[in-house]
Amino acid sequence: MALINLTGIQPIDYTALADEAKPGEGETIAVPVAQLIEENADLFATAGSVGAIIGTETPFDALGDIVGKIDFAVIEFPAFGDGRGFSLAVRLRKDFGFKGEIRAVGPVIPDQALFLLRAGFDTVEASGERKAAFEAALERFPAFYQSDFGGQVSVAHTRHSAEGQRKAS
Amino acid sequence: MYAYDTFDHALVNARVAEFRDQVDRRMTGELTEEEFRPLRLMNGLYLQLHAYMLRVAIPYGTLSSVQMRKLAHVARRYDKGYGHFTTRQNIQYNWPKLSETPDILQELADVEMHAIQTSGNCIRNVTTDQFAGATADEVADPRPYAELIRQWSSFHPEFSFLPRKFKIAITGAQEDRAAVKWHDIGLVVKENKEGEIGFEVLAGGGMGRTPVIAKTMRDFLPVKDLLSYLEAMLRVYNEQGRRDNKYKARIKILVEAMGVEEYTRQVEEEWEKIRHIPIDVPDEEVARIKSFFAPPPLAVLSDEVAEVDDLAAKNFIFKSWLANNTGRHKVPGYVNATISLKPHGGIPGDASDEQMDLVADLADAFSQSEIRVSHEQNLILPHVARKDLPALWAKLDAAGLGTPNAGLLTDIIACPGLDYCSLANTRSIPIAQTITERFDDLKRLMDIGPLKIKISGCINSCGHHHAGHIGILGVDRKGTENYQLLLGGSGAEDASKAAILGPGFDEHGIVDAVEKVVAVYLGEREDGEEFLAAYRRLGPDVFKEAVYGSH
Amino acid sequence: MAKKVTGPQLILANRLDDGRAVFLTAAGEWSKQVADAAVANSDDELENLMSVAQAAEVANQVVSVTAVAADESGKALAPAHIKFAMQSRGPSVRADLGYQVSPNWEQ
Repeated sequence: MALINLTGIQPIDYTALADEAKPGEGETIAVPVAQLIEENADLFATAGSVGAIIGTETPFDALGDIVGKIDFAVIEFPAFGDGRGFSLAVRLRKDFGFKGEIRAVGPVIPDQALFLLRAGFDTVEASGERKAAFEAALERFPAFYQSDFGGQVSVAHTRHSAEGQRKAS
Repeated sequence: MYAYDTFDHALVNARVAEFRDQVDRRMTGELTEEEFRPLRLMNGLYLQLHAYMLRVAIPYGTLSSVQMRKLAHVARRYDKGYGHFTTRQNIQYNWPKLSETPDILQELADVEMHAIQTSGNCIRNVTTDQFAGATADEVADPRPYAELIRQWSSFHPEFSFLPRKFKIAITGAQEDRAAVKWHDIGLVVKENKEGEIGFEVLAGGGMGRTPVIAKTMRDFLPVKDLLSYLEAMLRVYNEQGRRDNKYKARIKILVEAMGVEEYTRQVEEEWEKIRHIPIDVPDEEVARIKSFFAPPPLAVLSDEVAEVDDLAAKNFIFKSWLANNTGRHKVPGYVNATISLKPHGGIPGDASDEQMDLVADLADAFSQSEIRVSHEQNLILPHVARKDLPALWAKLDAAGLGTPNAGLLTDIIACPGLDYCSLANTRSIPIAQTITERFDDLKRLMDIGPLKIKISGCINSCGHHHAGHIGILGVDRKGTENYQLLLGGSGAEDASKAAILGPGFDEHGIVDAVEKVVAVYLGEREDGEEFLAAYRRLGPDVFKEAVYGSH
Repeated sequence: MAKKVTGPQLILANRLDDGRAVFLTAAGEWSKQVADAAVANSDDELENLMSVAQAAEVANQVVSVTAVAADESGKALAPAHIKFAMQSRGPSVRADLGYQVSPNWEQ
C-alpha cells in the first residue's frame, strides 16, 4: 500500500483500534464512527489523537456529535462507484468546518484523484503500483466548472475576474 | 449558439487526453474491464452486441452546420456511414473501434463537441424543446439555463458516482415538447408577476420498470438560485438514494419512498445552508451565456407567400408537410421546419453521412446555419423563411428526408432494440418498419391525425413506451419476442402513464392490434377529437374488445 | 445471462479492440464465424472451454465472455437464443452490415 498525498498535508500515522481493544496512552488511533458515538469518554481521554473510520452508509448528521473531538477522518469506500463518500467529505468540510485530514481508503481508482481532492479529501490509500497514475491524474485538468473544497474557484467566476479575462482572451 | 472560450476548450481537450490515457491503460491491461467500464461509460462508450457504441452529446439538441458536417465525417471515416439520433437528442455510432474513440473525441472537440457524461451514473446531457428560441409559444429560450447546467454538471466532483443515471429536462414553452415530467428533474421556465424569470421545479419522474410522473417541488425558483437548488437536490439524492438494487436506485424511488414533501423539506433545508456560498454563477456569467442565444437577425417578412399556397394547392404531399412539419416561429414570415427521420419502412432516427451533409448545407442556405435534434428523433431547421419552403422541401424530398409525417402515426419513436442493444429483449425497429409500411397512405394518416406510437425493446424504456398514445413494449417470452400493447400515455404537459391493454402479441399480431385500435378510434371519435382525447373519454374496454374479442 | 443453460453450448465474446462478436474454436482461437465455434456437450467440456475463454479475457483479448445454448438442429450451427443468434449475424434491419453479408465481412 502507498499513501497518495493530494493536498500536501502532513499525513497522520495511525493504528486502527482492534475490536474491544483499549488505546495505549497517547496513541494515535482510528475507530469506527459508531463506536465513537456510543462510548467515547475513556477513549478520547487515553488516546493521544483519535480519528473516525466512517463507512459510506453513515448519515452525515451522525457526525455532528464527534466531529469536534476527532483529529482526522477515514472514509471507507466499499466500491469505487459508491459516491456517498464524496458527499461525506463535502459535509465534513462544509457543514462542520472540519479542518483535519480526510483520507479515502478502499478501492478508489486513480481516475478519481481530482474528484477526491475537490470533494475535500487530503490523502488516499492505494496500491503502490498505482501511485504514479494517481499523481498523473491530479495534473489532468487545468480548470473546473465548480468551486470546490480543494480551493479551486469555478470557471464561471474566473471568467469575470481580471485574471480570467486575460486568460480567456 | 454557445461558443467555447479557452476554458471550455481546455477542459474538453483535457478530457480527450484523459480518455486516450484510459484507453491505453485498458489495452495494456493496467485497467481491468470492471474498472474501465464506468470510465468508458462516462465518455458515452458502450459495448453492444456487434461492436462498441459511441454516444455523442448534442447539448440541448442544438447543432451548427459545422458540427453536423463533423458528425457526417465521423460516420464516414470511423463508422459505417450512418448515425442514429436518439430520444436524448444525442447521436449514436454503432461500429467504432475502442482504439479509435480517442481520435473521434478529438475530432469532435475541434468543433466544440464531446461525449462527456452521455452514460454512467452521473448527470446526463440536459434536454430541451427542439424549437427553443424558434417558437411562438415560448416564455423564454431555455437553452442558456441548459448550458449553465451543462457546465455545472460536467466533471462534478461530488455527483459523478450517483446511485444511478440522472436526467434533467427543461422547457421554456407552454406546450411541453421536452417531456419534463418524465425526468429525474424537470424545469419549466416561468415568468412571475414581477416579470422575473424562474422555474417551476419538478422531481422524481422516470420511466423504466417503475414509471412515475414527476411531482412539483416548487412553483417558482429564481434563476439566480438554480444551481444551488440543483446542488441541494443532487446531494440529498446522492446520500439517500438506494444503492442496493439498481432498479430502485433512481430518484423517483427515493421521492416516492420519502414523499415529495419530505424530499422537498430536506432539499430546502440543505439549500438554505448553501445558497449564499458562491456555487451560483455571477450575473455577468448568466449574461455572457445568454448573449450566445440572442435571437438571430431575421428581417420580418410576410406570412402570405403566394408561391407556397400555389404549391400546396396542387401538391398534397407538400400541403401535408406544411401542415405537419412546420410550426409558428417568433418572427413573422418564418417557421421552424421538422425534417422527418421516419421514412415509411425506414429505421427511425437513422441518417446517412450524405443526409447529414445535406442537412448541414440546407441549414447554411435556409436556417442561419442552425440545426436541432428532437427527442422524437427528428432534425429541425429552426429559422426558415416561409418563402423558402418550396425550395427546401424539394431538396429534402429528393434526399428521402421530406416525409410529411411529423406528429402523425408513422412518426414513431423506437429504441435500437435487439438489432444492436445488448440489454434488449426484442427488436423494436422492425415493428416500426412494419407499422409505417402498413399505414403508408398519406390521406389515411392525415385523417387519423396526431398519434404518437413509442416502442421499447425492453423495460428500460428508451423508446418511451410509457408515454406513448400507443406504447409497445417488447418482452422475452421463453426465448421468443413478444410485444405488449399499452394505451393512453402522454409525454406532454398533460403527462400520463400508458396502461397495458392485455396479453402480448408476436411481431405480426402487434401490428394488427395497432390497426384495430386505430379503427376503434376512427369509429368512435367525435368531431375534431384526437386519439388521446378519445381514449381518455372512452376508456380501455372498447379497445380491449376490438383487439381481443369478447373473451 | 445467469440462467443455467443445459444441452450443447458455445462460447461467445467481444474482441477488446473493436468489440466485434467472436466465437471460441476448438483450437482455443477466436473466430468471427459461429460455424467455427467449439460445442461443449458436457460440463467438463464447457469448463475446459470456459477456462480458455477466461484466460483470453485476463490477457485482454476479449471481454464479455458468455456461454450460450447452441442450436445444432438446422443446417448450420447457431446460438439458440435470438439475442445471440443476432450477435452471430448482424442487425436484422441492415442486411448490408455484419457477418450476414459474408463470413469475411470487414476482413
